[in-house]
Amino acid sequence: MSAPVLTTPAPDAVVPGRPTVGQRLTSFMPVIALVVLLAALTVADPGFLTLSSLTAAVRTSAPLVVLAAGATLVVLCGGIDLSIAALCSLATVFFALWLPDLGGLTTFAIIAATGAIGALQGVAHVLFRIPSFIVTLGGMSIFSAIALVISDAGPVRVVDRDATNWLTLYVGGVVPMAFVVALVLVAAVSLVLRLTPLESWIRATGYSESAARLAGAPVDRVKIAAFTVSGACAGLAAVMLVSRNFSGSPTMADNLLLPAVAAIVVGGTAITGGHGSLWRSLAGALVVTLLRVGLPIVGVPSAYEQILYGAIIVAAVALTLDRSKVLIIK
Amino acid sequence: MTTTSPADADREVVHAGRPRPRRGISLSDAGPPIALVVIFGVFAVLSPDFRTVSNVQNVLDAAAVLAVVTCGISFVLMMGSIDLSAPGIMGASAIAVALLVANNRNDNDFGLFGVAVAVLLGAALGCLSGLALVVLKVPSFMTTLGVSAVGLGVATLMFAGVQPNVTDPMLEGWAVERFLGLAHLTWIAVACVLVGALVQRYSRLGRYAFAIGGAEEVLGLSGVRVAPYKVAVFTMAGAFYGLAGVLVTSQLGAGLVQAGRGYDFSAITAAVVGGTLLSGGRGGILHSVVGVLLVTVLTNGLVQVGVSPYWQGGVQGLIVVAAVAAAVLPQRRRNQVTK
Amino acid sequence: MTTNLQTQPDPRVPAPAPALEVRSLVKHYPGVKALDGVDLVVRQHEVLGLAGENGAGKSTLLKALVGLVRPDGGEIWVRGEKVRLRSVVDAADHGIGMVFQEQSLVPNLTAAENIVLGSEGPGVRRGIYRWSTMRRLAQEQLDKIGSHIDPLARTDTLTFADRQMVEIAKVLRIEERTSHPPVIILDEPTSVLESKEIETLFTQVRRLREFASVVFVSHRLDEVLDVCDRVAVLRGGRSVGEVPAADAAPADLHRMMIGSTGSDDHYHGGAGERPDEASRPRLVVRGLSGKSFRDVDLDVHAGEIVGIVGVHGSGREDVCRALFGAEPTTAGEVVLDGEKLDLSGTRAACAAGVGYVPAERKTEGMVGPMSVADNMTLTKQQSRCTGPLVRPRKQATLVDRWIERLSIRTPHRGTAIQSLSGGNQQKVVLARWLVAGDVRLLLLDHPTRGLDVGARSEVYRLMRELADSGVATVLLADSLEEAIGMSDRIIVMSDGRATTQVAAPAGGKPTPLDLVKEMV
Repeated sequence: MSAPVLTTPAPDAVVPGRPTVGQRLTSFMPVIALVVLLAALTVADPGFLTLSSLTAAVRTSAPLVVLAAGATLVVLCGGIDLSIAALCSLATVFFALWLPDLGGLTTFAIIAATGAIGALQGVAHVLFRIPSFIVTLGGMSIFSAIALVISDAGPVRVVDRDATNWLTLYVGGVVPMAFVVALVLVAAVSLVLRLTPLESWIRATGYSESAARLAGAPVDRVKIAAFTVSGACAGLAAVMLVSRNFSGSPTMADNLLLPAVAAIVVGGTAITGGHGSLWRSLAGALVVTLLRVGLPIVGVPSAYEQILYGAIIVAAVALTLDRSKVLIIK
Repeated sequence: MTTTSPADADREVVHAGRPRPRRGISLSDAGPPIALVVIFGVFAVLSPDFRTVSNVQNVLDAAAVLAVVTCGISFVLMMGSIDLSAPGIMGASAIAVALLVANNRNDNDFGLFGVAVAVLLGAALGCLSGLALVVLKVPSFMTTLGVSAVGLGVATLMFAGVQPNVTDPMLEGWAVERFLGLAHLTWIAVACVLVGALVQRYSRLGRYAFAIGGAEEVLGLSGVRVAPYKVAVFTMAGAFYGLAGVLVTSQLGAGLVQAGRGYDFSAITAAVVGGTLLSGGRGGILHSVVGVLLVTVLTNGLVQVGVSPYWQGGVQGLIVVAAVAAAVLPQRRRNQVTK
Repeated sequence: MTTNLQTQPDPRVPAPAPALEVRSLVKHYPGVKALDGVDLVVRQHEVLGLAGENGAGKSTLLKALVGLVRPDGGEIWVRGEKVRLRSVVDAADHGIGMVFQEQSLVPNLTAAENIVLGSEGPGVRRGIYRWSTMRRLAQEQLDKIGSHIDPLARTDTLTFADRQMVEIAKVLRIEERTSHPPVIILDEPTSVLESKEIETLFTQVRRLREFASVVFVSHRLDEVLDVCDRVAVLRGGRSVGEVPAADAAPADLHRMMIGSTGSDDHYHGGAGERPDEASRPRLVVRGLSGKSFRDVDLDVHAGEIVGIVGVHGSGREDVCRALFGAEPTTAGEVVLDGEKLDLSGTRAACAAGVGYVPAERKTEGMVGPMSVADNMTLTKQQSRCTGPLVRPRKQATLVDRWIERLSIRTPHRGTAIQSLSGGNQQKVVLARWLVAGDVRLLLLDHPTRGLDVGARSEVYRLMRELADSGVATVLLADSLEEAIGMSDRIIVMSDGRATTQVAAPAGGKPTPLDLVKEMV
């Protein structure tokens, strides 16, 4: 009589408190995969498990870790950032062009600039309510275009190598500095999330945006912040790439998009948002890197790499997806 | 009332009814064609080179491949899904066709049969996206991203480090020989558009794709199983991408892994600009064709007035974001969930 | 209404078996018995009304009849034959079809396509549409109900009433599947119709009776009595009786629906002194207007519970959300404790001491996978922080205190809230606004929806305690007697306007019928 007639006595589906076997398995998935991969590679090539090859693998993984860590924040909020690789490429060009004028400040300028660009995408997403994958897909092609135009579609050489030299050092003679920076980044961001209400807000936004908003969580600001950090991470990854390649190029990081997305989902972060962490993406990035360097070792042509990325992305998303949330999968 | 007898059913033809367009012309339907005319006019005024007959031919020829890709993606977008697999599928089919027709790498000379196999390869890859969507329940933008990677991998495998150059006269001829002033490729694209429009209007597949975008849950309540139709739509889209890969190979005279680079985004741009909603249920092939022409005229016109061709992607990025924003903003609600 | 009946041909043709029979149907949901042994008989060629309060089990029963809900016990018989309905298609094969309350048409297809959707028959040959056949098939259906809609018009260009005709035409397609007269279920078909359109619909319903049985569900009792031959009443998931429509008045039906405890005051518990009406109201709303409501005035004093009642579409939910900044407003002013309330967003409302418990607990009220503790401190982050830093021990102490105070049954504060029972979930959601002790106005949108009796009374007790501690409360109740029992004052909303105000002090409660008169 009085109330809206929708009233079905809402079925109280009581979710069992204990995680299912599948949930347990997926929560350890990245670590298991890492161990299995290491073991398999060692069996295939006993010479693999040496300090030098591990150091090299870890060093290659650093930019990927940074890219994936940043984008993980956006995924945790329930969105996706497809622009990271293109933004990273653009940032390498910026770095090469700005270095002569800014010198030692270039790194900070790059990170600030890419952070601002990321924020811009976040604002467009939040303000105009455009799905994040469209905003960032558009961003991707805009950043590529800018990079092509300002670099004249070719690599820009970096002459002054002192500015990035610090990233090529080794801590204690073994651990590459770039990887240490990546680790510190993951640890720092995770710590900030854990110690402040941010983690609560991000998870709430990712799990259930409307509930978060109705609980007064600053959903819009959290999302913009996530995009900002994602952009800034793309900038940092760019600096790492330049330190290795001594040049900036408009397509330098383009082939890192798929590995970065793969790293996030292999880590077990749910593409539907809420569930996951930066540490998981770190493990995921290591898995992806090991796959990359390991394939030739076991005698698989590197052409299979792409196929493998495709397969693991789909498989990992299928395993981690929160199906209770989306009734109709588009 | 009893079931209609077959005799009754055959007695059609009387007045062939067609779905009637919405009454009155809404801005969203009339907007893209008007924009096309306006942009065309502006460039015609700005650039004497733009308003030549040969340039108009160029524009149409340049639009051919994009039109074929957009035909495929339109059906997917109509369902409310998204498809990022075009680059991978086109790459795979481009290499496949280059290796199957007369070429410098092997002794194959299968001609049209080779083209058909390449298209089928595209369809198979598209089917894979669809299956992953309905069986594994993975969102389409992830499955198609994955399938795109798989396609590129398959292409790289077949490429094997040596570029296959096409020596088949038929395939080479498609890009250069002209009929009524337009390249054969362009006519193939026109045929694709016609097929697409017919499928959309007269086939159950097309109508259900449209309905899935409109209200998927209602189809379930009416006893329609949507999963097979979703797979079929992705398969059909894959076939269109496969054909587009063949067309690119014909244009370049060689099979390239990167044959489809950027086409996914351009096609989404064209469809969205043409008035297809990303949430599904609105738009269609003819809308998308207008979008394709718009994008191509814009690209061509900007080059003609002296803008660097490198800006092409950037301009597309801007217009797609603007077009989606324009479509979404009027329906904006507070506490709306945007992913 | 009786006169109406007499003008109709006598519908009660003697039939060997009822068109549809339900025997002691049972459906459990965790914590709630939605159907607790329902019996129902639908005779051939009759219009059976189904009445009941919200939560009486109507929706679940209807869903069971069309195969959307699998009952846990009991039997469904169709024309003397026991059946199992697994899906909508199954139900249609047995000749049962339903016109859904929220219209279930595909908006971007033509009316003809919607009518034949899923059973195109000769309209589609080898996957190819034959539009002229489709059109003819649809026209035949529309002719049955005498509708003049163009079958090839796009559905979203039709009026709501026309769309309903399309739905009825679509449901009648089930005649193709069975040689028997079908059973057509109409779920709240009149809730959004104008009175003229309702008249047309009723003509259709009477026409349907000639070749079908109809189950008619509506919350407007006068309509039910007007169009039906017989009315069955559900209460608390049980059949409580049936009456021939010709001899019944809305009041009789209503009495059956709400039972004997209707105007009881038991929710009040130990409600002590009433708030001082003379003091300045804590919440003053003047001329608030939005998309679905206009010129709403509302005063709520500290310590007072004000119930807003109204039928579906009265706009009361939107008023509630607007006060929380979750729904845009076009005009009006809201003052809370002498300060203008910022309605631009939910954050501003939270900061001003406004709390909101949404009706959709699972999707809007709580973040399911997050822990009880994190859900409880989600809004008032300052209550678990020192400066910008979260202090886990502070949070633990606080949460444990509230778990104890509200006797929330949870294994641990770290347990995911989705594994709690509905009542305990709702207590956590309520606690969210209490942990900081700064809530001044609570907006409760169906706070007891989907809860069992025990959990309900705990929520009632909590609401009363809060009010006694000085919180001003706006309550959108789940049922009329809940509104009457809990509220100190009741505002009746109708068509987006606050039409009447009824005082409801302890000992001087209005009856539900007093309110119903104002609502419709």
